[in-house]
Amino acid sequence: MDYLSANKILIVDLTSADVMEDELSDELVGEKIGGAAVTKHLYKQHADGDPIVIGTGLLTGTLFPAAAAGVITAKSPVTGKVSHCPITLKVGLEIQYAGFDYIVIKGTSPEPSFLWIHDGVADITSAVDVWGKNVWETTDTWRKAMGDDLIQTIVIGKAGEDQSDLAQVCYNYWASGDRWGFGKIFGTKNLKGLAFRGMGLLEMAEAEEFVELALDVLEEVKEGEFDGKKGIGDICTAIGEADVDTWLAPIVHRHSACYNTPYATNTFVFLDEDPQNLTEPENAEPGFLVTDLFGLVGFKKAGLSAEDACKLLKACAQYGIDAAAVAELSQAAGKASLAEIQDSMAELSGAVTRPGNGIFSPWCPLQPVFGKFDDIGDDPVSWWNRRMAVAYIFGIHPIFAVMSPEITEEDLLEIATIGTEIEFSEDTLNKAVDFLLN
Amino acid sequence: MAIKIDALKCTGCMACEMACGYHRDDGFALLSSCIVAYRTKEKKDYFGVILKRDEDLLIARPEGTEIKRIGETEDTPANGKQQDASAKPMLLREACDLCDEMDLGPMCIKFCPVDAISED
Repeated sequence: MDYLSANKILIVDLTSADVMEDELSDELVGEKIGGAAVTKHLYKQHADGDPIVIGTGLLTGTLFPAAAAGVITAKSPVTGKVSHCPITLKVGLEIQYAGFDYIVIKGTSPEPSFLWIHDGVADITSAVDVWGKNVWETTDTWRKAMGDDLIQTIVIGKAGEDQSDLAQVCYNYWASGDRWGFGKIFGTKNLKGLAFRGMGLLEMAEAEEFVELALDVLEEVKEGEFDGKKGIGDICTAIGEADVDTWLAPIVHRHSACYNTPYATNTFVFLDEDPQNLTEPENAEPGFLVTDLFGLVGFKKAGLSAEDACKLLKACAQYGIDAAAVAELSQAAGKASLAEIQDSMAELSGAVTRPGNGIFSPWCPLQPVFGKFDDIGDDPVSWWNRRMAVAYIFGIHPIFAVMSPEITEEDLLEIATIGTEIEFSEDTLNKAVDFLLN
Repeated sequence: MAIKIDALKCTGCMACEMACGYHRDDGFALLSSCIVAYRTKEKKDYFGVILKRDEDLLIARPEGTEIKRIGETEDTPANGKQQDASAKPMLLREACDLCDEMDLGPMCIKFCPVDAISED
């Protein structure tokens, strides 16, 4: 696979500490395209090792709008299904440029370890020094050890180490779309996480044509319904949680976007500083980046103030636990205050609502956000499943995929063909989507 | 013509950095970009954009734009704070040429999804 690819699949056996590489074939890409369809294929190929498969979409890290997303695929310990969660922020980007298109992790490490993946090299490294540390401490430790604050991480906290069903993998310091208990799988494998850094280069077959089409799509996208809106508050309003925006506003500092994503889906709140302050804070940890709107909404519904809700979101991210699940289970258990919820986090268990069919993470709203989609018809469930499948295959930010009807399957297929010289048809895409949904 | 950056409109998405990298390397890469998203203060939510020009660095901070002569930022930090390791590579990068050989014009302007970058 010459284009839009590092042409490498990494296969790591944690039990034997074997690290192998395989080539990413044109045949596999021609059939499965990329992203979750390939990770699911690799999952099935290595299923006897109960693998975690990490990958990038075919367009991840390019100039196609919202091409931010990677994917984690594994069998969820809570649903028993092979499920996918998106890798967002700048983590998906860094994976693309760190030298491997897909990473299969099998077996169990005899001692706590992490994978350090950098410029086409994969090292199984001891994590004994960070086992027991929270997510924030772990990311800080790895960045300091490697001397690079731009290292991107996928990390578990104590919840994952203790193999809680609610354990969530986190990205750098922040909550992820892991609603499937993938953090537990990491914990059972003695895998504290992965760290990525790379200076790679992605070549395209017809570079000028690719970039021109990406720009055409961007110009259409910028005219979309999300224009003028930003942050997690406006998304909440769009999905019927209208008072979240005003409730949160007093502590909002700034909004930020995942790689090349036209809408800023993440909102940073200041908890220990004046949010109007734009200079660099003296405080090393003045607040929290809210990346999970359902965790936020859940704590609001529990009757908490915005400040307490965000303090809990921070505590969940440090502990590495699904905040939306914590909010739901805490309410069911009659816990109402910040202290009560935080103190009971480690003992929480029970059935949690996970909308959808268990394939794609319900971290992404199961409905259009701002945008009007003509193809939604009378079956919004099927519409959402297909939209997610397409997003996860090409590496499009899932929340932006339900915001922007201007990102069409036709454009995705055309740019994929231009970029790779592999002919991708609607039939190819339909088969890849069917493979994901069945 | 010069590049102008509105750091408060910026969402830190790095599209400008990738677009410039494409101009420099004819592929997608970040190593050669003259415009860089400053993002090492992640926990502080302090981010902006740095553009290397012929004689200086245009530093678009949230609190305002600053111009620093090349060399000053690395050797004599005005604020006494420790320099980031990632600041060093700016010295090794080419200066912005406004994409003068490209039909599309300055790529950072074209690809910024929030119009935080414009012509001055």
